[in-house]
Amino acid sequence: MTDGDGALIGEFLQGESEPDSSWILLVLGFVSTLIFLILFSILYPNNDLPVISSVLPVFEGVFDSGIWFFILGIMIGVFAILGTMLTEATSE
Amino acid sequence: MGLFSAMLVFWASMLVIFVMLNRGIWVFTDVSKSMSMFMLEKALGPAADFAEGRKGSGAKAWIIQGALWLIPASTLTFCGLWLSHDPVALHSLSSWGLNPTSSSLIMAGNLTTFYGSVGMLMIGAALHIVPSLGATSLASEKNASLMSFVWTLSVLVLIIGSNNPEVFGIKLLLVATALHTLSLMAVIVNMLLTAASRTRKMALPAWLIIIGLISDPLSIVVLAVAGVLDSGTGQWLAVRFAVGGFFFMQAAGISLFAASRGTGNPLWSRSLAAVTMLGAILTINPMGYTDGSIAADLLGIDPASLEPTRNDIIAGSFLMALAAIPIIALSANILATMRGDDVFMENPDYPGMPEINLGAFMLLPLGIGALFVQTDHLTGTNELGGISSTLVIMVAWLVMVPLALGSSLSIFPEASGRNVLSVSRSRWAYWAMAGGAFSGLIITMMSDFADMSLAEAAVESETTIGNRLRVLGSVLFYGTVIGAVLHCLNMISGSFRGSLIGELSTPSSTSISSPFKLTEETTVRKILAQREGKLDTVVVPESNSESPGKPTEL
Repeated sequence: MTDGDGALIGEFLQGESEPDSSWILLVLGFVSTLIFLILFSILYPNNDLPVISSVLPVFEGVFDSGIWFFILGIMIGVFAILGTMLTEATSE
Repeated sequence: MGLFSAMLVFWASMLVIFVMLNRGIWVFTDVSKSMSMFMLEKALGPAADFAEGRKGSGAKAWIIQGALWLIPASTLTFCGLWLSHDPVALHSLSSWGLNPTSSSLIMAGNLTTFYGSVGMLMIGAALHIVPSLGATSLASEKNASLMSFVWTLSVLVLIIGSNNPEVFGIKLLLVATALHTLSLMAVIVNMLLTAASRTRKMALPAWLIIIGLISDPLSIVVLAVAGVLDSGTGQWLAVRFAVGGFFFMQAAGISLFAASRGTGNPLWSRSLAAVTMLGAILTINPMGYTDGSIAADLLGIDPASLEPTRNDIIAGSFLMALAAIPIIALSANILATMRGDDVFMENPDYPGMPEINLGAFMLLPLGIGALFVQTDHLTGTNELGGISSTLVIMVAWLVMVPLALGSSLSIFPEASGRNVLSVSRSRWAYWAMAGGAFSGLIITMMSDFADMSLAEAAVESETTIGNRLRVLGSVLFYGTVIGAVLHCLNMISGSFRGSLIGELSTPSSTSISSPFKLTEETTVRKILAQREGKLDTVVVPESNSESPGKPTEL
């Protein structure tokens, strides 16, 4: 493998060439999800969401306290650290 | 044997250790040196090859692991604070056989904070400071790196043990103590060998660190020899020795060094550093747990209730009151060192400096607060017992963590060869961590006071005010978790991609518009303070002249 290939892989793992405006896509995705949920509730009132409504009962009794949202945040943080470790270690 | 007699034995043994440190062990010095070096590396066999022996690798391993422990430490404490107002919040974990309570989580959080984060960060910083002050290199980098993993394993066992003390009849907290003692002994031997190979006189911060490390196992041996370890007074004293010796003295040593190194100012007072060291040995530090049962649990002995005699109460209260002297001396010395000897101009951009500033600032109020709570506990009054748990968490997150983390952050570039990735992220992490801990714990303490007042007034109805405050306190404390994550990300990325030390500052030369007359010897700090120059101004002397009596023109 040449040095150029290594640099490309490093770039891929670090995501350093990502355009600055890429966050717009994330926001668009979030907004369109919200719009879909609102539309669904208007068009099919009292109907359960397909697939999601059958998955959610699995978590019944777990997310019954606000602490779980904070724990979810901590888990995201921990995975961010693990991800950083992996990408930093493999990029060199 | 009473409290004062045990203290006398401790003082005598510390004196013997101090003399032996400076004089050696008579004709056995050379033999013990070579034997110790053999035990540190060769005796480990193939295990020694798992670790690299590069300069600074030992310190880096301890610092990174200490920083990583901040996340579980803050998470456990956060969950403990949450469960104090919502006890069934984590009841779904019972399906996994876990039944965490607020007290068990707070205990696990405190142990992880003190031994996982603070302990590892302090030892990591110490592994860099002692060789640096002795102008030598660490005796065994390989052993230091390996022992960091043994220490991490001991913290892992501590967390499990604080939720489930016995597994198959084995006392897990005792296993954790054995593992951490093994690791600590190796670190002490490593430090002593390093100190023995010093090429110049070591400054006081290095001695503070070494004596602080030695005092931990020594104090337990002294209490065992004195025969008081199975009594309530002995167990209470064991906790005090651990706080005053291992934690306070090491924190003092590393933060004095880091305050000086980070700001570029010389240590403000050598006398105050000496007072800190002597005071930490001769007095009883009131910070930390009021209950001695934690020492009994860690040593695997039966906890005994504290039943001090009248003389114990007098001696204990007096020695705890005297502890204000080293606490004030340390706080004053750090703050004065950071601000320099002339004007207020700290270096806020240097990572770690704001943390040390916070820790030094909070030393005094929390030290005095702890003095009241401990005296109240020792005398058996127990009117302030309701705030003691929160006070321990405050000491952990507003004094010990800031001092240990701040010192480690400022030492990290020298140890790893690279700066942290982003100074800006470091500043954000500081505000999240300090703001979360300060506001969250102050509000939790307000709730403690509200509960105490209502209990005193014998109000039987449900106390909603206290609960509401606890909700707010625990949510605000979440900032500490965010700060810990940001610090870890910054350090990990920095150790890979941070700018190499020495390549950051590129001085640019500018001229000072108006001539600045020097009538006497001065410092660049004073010139800058009078707004006559900018931070990137380079002052270049034109020529040396023998002609006297004329102001120098810049």
